[in-house]
Amino acid sequence: MLKIWSMKQQQQQEQKEAAANGDGVVKKKVTAAQIRVQKDLTELSLPSTIKTQFPNPDDLLNFLVSIEPDEGMYQGGRFNFTFKINNNFPHEPPKVKCTQKIYHPNIDLEGNVCLNILREDWKPVLNLNAVLVGLQYLFLEPNASDPLNKDAALDLQRNRDGFKRNVRSSMAGGAVAGERFDNVLR
Amino acid sequence: MKVTIDKWIGVSTWHWNHAQDEVCGICRVAFDGTCPTCKYPGDDCPLIIGECKHAFHMHCLLKWLTTESSKGLCPMCRRRFKTATE
Ligand SMILES: [Zn+2]
Ligand SMILES: [Zn+2]
Ligand SMILES: [Zn+2]
Repeated sequence: MLKIWSMKQQQQQEQKEAAANGDGVVKKKVTAAQIRVQKDLTELSLPSTIKTQFPNPDDLLNFLVSIEPDEGMYQGGRFNFTFKINNNFPHEPPKVKCTQKIYHPNIDLEGNVCLNILREDWKPVLNLNAVLVGLQYLFLEPNASDPLNKDAALDLQRNRDGFKRNVRSSMAGGAVAGERFDNVLR
Repeated sequence: MKVTIDKWIGVSTWHWNHAQDEVCGICRVAFDGTCPTCKYPGDDCPLIIGECKHAFHMHCLLKWLTTESSKGLCPMCRRRFKTATE
């Protein structure tokens, strides 16, 4: 008898706690995209060089990502991106944009990113972790064969050392071929 | 002693016959659960299995195949998605 009584008390306590946590409160309808994004976010396992930030914690579909490569020619920079996910996710890839003007063969001066898995090779089973790691890979291995900034791609193809120097000076806010770039050094 | 049964309640459980990968790769919900647009699991929200052996909630896969960018390919292996016939 005593045991039943204490179990009941515990049950009541749990119910109270659930109420205090906001469970049972009427919530807005959660979309399929939101559910999927939430799952992807809880499964993120990122290297310390990739960070996510949520300016509005209630909005999981719009967030910021910063990448700080710890090797390669873009080492020492911090590159910022906006991620916009629409309600067709995961049938459509996230829209990713670089918020800085940088010198990179696969990123144009407006910040558009050319990464195969964000375009023609997107598939719904790819998760956000794969996208973020793929994005970081662009800074470890810039790719001249699929360029958005043709001048930078040509530069990389013709003279890797010269390209490297141009990357370094652009990252410090310098100009390359008359075009001034944002200072992205940490 | 004689017993008469007035009433009985049957209880059963079910499971899709597909062990490989417990969740749908598109919505990441368990196969035994529903796709995001359905309410009741089971026959109302069936699975579809491709020749490539990849399985999805049928509704999730159909939605993917109607997008232009899918090009009719499996969301997992990017081979042409053809329903397995067996
Ligand atoms: Zn599904
Ligand atoms: Zn369904
Ligand atoms: Zn497949």
